[in-house]
Amino acid sequence: MINNIFVEAGSFQVHKNGNFACGDTILLHKIDNQERCIAVLSDGLGSGIKANVLSTMTASMAMNFSIKREPIMRTARTIMDTLPIDSKRNISYATFTIIDIDQNGNTMIAEFDTPPLLLVRDGKVTHLNPETFKINTTNETDNYERILKLSDIALKKGDRLIVYSDGVSQSGMGKDNMPFGWEDGVETFIENLVKQDKNISARGLSRRIVRRAEMNDDFKTKDDISCICLYVREPRKLLICTGPPFNEEKDKYLADVISSYNGKKIVCGGTTSQIIARELGKDLEVEMDLDKFASGLPPESKMDGVDLVTEGIITLGALSRLLEEDRFNELPQEDSAWNILKYIMDADIIDFLVGTKINVAHQDPSLPIELEIRRNVIKRIKGLIENKLLKTVNLEFI
Amino acid sequence: MVTVKICVGTYCYLMGGGQLAQWRNYIPQHLHEKVTFVSASCLGCNEQNAKPPYAKVGDVIIEKATPEKILEEIEKQLSI
Repeated sequence: MINNIFVEAGSFQVHKNGNFACGDTILLHKIDNQERCIAVLSDGLGSGIKANVLSTMTASMAMNFSIKREPIMRTARTIMDTLPIDSKRNISYATFTIIDIDQNGNTMIAEFDTPPLLLVRDGKVTHLNPETFKINTTNETDNYERILKLSDIALKKGDRLIVYSDGVSQSGMGKDNMPFGWEDGVETFIENLVKQDKNISARGLSRRIVRRAEMNDDFKTKDDISCICLYVREPRKLLICTGPPFNEEKDKYLADVISSYNGKKIVCGGTTSQIIARELGKDLEVEMDLDKFASGLPPESKMDGVDLVTEGIITLGALSRLLEEDRFNELPQEDSAWNILKYIMDADIIDFLVGTKINVAHQDPSLPIELEIRRNVIKRIKGLIENKLLKTVNLEFI
Repeated sequence: MVTVKICVGTYCYLMGGGQLAQWRNYIPQHLHEKVTFVSASCLGCNEQNAKPPYAKVGDVIIEKATPEKILEEIEKQLSI
């Protein structure tokens, strides 16, 4: 267990201008609580729906075969044989990159026709030296030679792997300062970003790269632009406490966990925050900013030593909806559910400490909405965070 | 000067406390300088027979608070 590494996986994507379907597909998956981390990027031939179908097929095959540890050459061949043949160009084609990292940092990378994968180590961008293999497909009539590039690398703490679609490297093509597109400019850009903020998250870095590529195209993107970033680092921890303990004797324990926790801390719940304030002898101040009311969520409070204090069940319900509706890639808003979400996105390990005491007042039949049982909401949020944001979530009930 | 506390705990918030907290910006002009609004996460209603939303004007707790009730109490305390 001691040698286990932690991998943060982040990605970002924008569509080709005018298309509502993206021709690139990104799939990220973590198996059995961080034991393996697999990332797949595929770029389908052309753009729009046709490309979307090709890349989705390719990426899901690549992902599922990798999970099952299918030999890579067979995976590649099966993908080539399965894809439908384009009626105009008479080939079946989608590019892909598969990155498979195990818990010791040993990484297998397979690339097919994507821009070369970049390794960022000690602030320097380097290329890998892949071995090349020819893929023999069975049903091809064209003479196009398909070369698969395989590489092997041991990642260590602080390393980043960056892979992007040709939308990034070819962005800005035809402009005076980059006649052939962004090309090597990406590498300098990444080096500068990492120099400015050496702890930049995978999510932040992939977003910056894609946004910059979009800018190179003057915000009229000529291709789908996608980027995946994988970052090996010390996990960041977040504690979310919600609900008064079932047994009052545990109030002290709750306060102790909060004050001794090494990481960010959030308290969701009016009564819970009052218990913690009482046990720790701290002041609790409720904010009265009218703008924050406009969102329809109760206001936040402030407590020394806690990063965020919000109302409980309404806010958690709103958080659960944000996750369900995949809103996490949008521009964040200024309400308490979004604020919790921002902390969650910036954390890798999230510990929930949930008090299970039922608030009798919440069962009042005259309430305008139905208030859920806290335990159920938290269980749902746990599932959503694990599956959609690929983070580790621990639950403890008190 | 008088301080008005409005409960914005889950129960009170849903039962009208949320609207009360917004209403505070629309109180009559002549009271603007004399009233301070603060929100609170619970004013102590955890009894069996709660009557939300709760507000507190000075030291007086108001059950099932409405703008009218709060205004009346403010005026009484300021003896306007």
